[in-house]
Amino acid sequence: MTDHTRYRSSILADPHDADPELQAHLAACPECRAFTERLLRFESRLKRALSVDVAPSAPVLSFARKAASPPRHWMAIAASVLLGVGMAAVIWLSLPQRSLAADVLAHMAGEPDAWHTLEAVPGAELDAVLQSADMRLKPAAGIVSYAQRCRFRGHMVPHLVVQRPSGAVTVMVLEHENVRGATDFDEHGYRGTIVPIAGHGSIAVLMRDQSVSLSEIEQIAAQVGNSILWMR
Amino acid sequence: MHFAAANPRKTGPIDRPDARRSPRNAVISGRYLEPGADLYMNDEVGGNPRRARFQALCQALRPDLLRFAFWLSRDRAVAEDVVQESMLRAWKAQDSILDEKATKPWLLTIIRREYARTFERKRLVTVDVDELVAREEPLLAAGEDHDLRDLRAAVLKLPDEYREPLVLQVLMGYSTAEIASELNLSGPAVLTRLFRARKKLREACAEDTALDPQE
Repeated sequence: MTDHTRYRSSILADPHDADPELQAHLAACPECRAFTERLLRFESRLKRALSVDVAPSAPVLSFARKAASPPRHWMAIAASVLLGVGMAAVIWLSLPQRSLAADVLAHMAGEPDAWHTLEAVPGAELDAVLQSADMRLKPAAGIVSYAQRCRFRGHMVPHLVVQRPSGAVTVMVLEHENVRGATDFDEHGYRGTIVPIAGHGSIAVLMRDQSVSLSEIEQIAAQVGNSILWMR
Repeated sequence: MHFAAANPRKTGPIDRPDARRSPRNAVISGRYLEPGADLYMNDEVGGNPRRARFQALCQALRPDLLRFAFWLSRDRAVAEDVVQESMLRAWKAQDSILDEKATKPWLLTIIRREYARTFERKRLVTVDVDELVAREEPLLAAGEDHDLRDLRAAVLKLPDEYREPLVLQVLMGYSTAEIASELNLSGPAVLTRLFRARKKLREACAEDTALDPQE
């Protein structure tokens, strides 16, 4: 039987430890759940803190050219440097999206109960959550078994679990988070994607079922995105 | 407060060059690149497509490699040198990459070893941690987010034995077993260091530690 001290010592060493005994203790102990939520918020900040800005300043590999090298090699070198800088810029621009994915995953770990129920959320309850974000959901999206308004990066956002033929899917509607393109992630037992929604930020769609591929999740994300009716 | 900037890491036998090398003047000879190299040529090492693929891979990984080297060395300039030198070593040994997914941990290991060599070459490095934080201020700054800047400064002040496993876990996504293997430690030793690292950071950043367990 895991006690508070063992649980907290373990997750202070590894906040994403998926040991079943620790998870059982987490499910049964509100005090440790609150502790975990605070720790995961700290963890998310720690990851951002470690992701210091390292703007590209030089190509990865710098070599002296041979004196006899023909001029066309200069062109190749220049093209290579430009390509390198371009690629670095693309990677650099994608970094904030990786932070967003990390925050989504941290939020997931703080709400483990969201996956457990299979029953549909009562209509009025679901409507209240969706209306708070000025949106509705077409029935084609699937049965919504969990619906909460959650604080995420300073905003209250809908956090839904939708039962799909391929399994339970978590959907977070992130109207305040603009992303440049789809960002896939596969970490800590979650696999998912964050996709832009024109004029309405983005949605994060993720699953715990590792048998579902990222391309399938991207299709689900597209279907869920198309199922949202915006009221403004 | 003064302490050594880093500890030399004993990570296995590595050949050492007889003479000082410059990463910008190098050709292949034995394990090292020596002055006069032109790796853009179709030499015995390989042709341009292969080089381009390797360079693209390195370019993609460069931000994370630089971050790792920075948190290892706590010095942006040293980090850039270490990464550059590591890339040259990696180029020479790229035949050993069988799976591109394994490239990142392979490069991180090279960086750790290269940094250990750098430390051995510069034995006299001792720093005042407050001076160090001031010197690296541009890299620690986080706009208006002063808490984030303070957290970075707190990480910078962590002893090496706590900072390195923490960076491997949080930034590089290493498991406890992978950290243990990389640092040549036992699993429980890694967990103890990670526990202490977070305890110190949380205390330094005035987090609510009332429910934190004692050791």
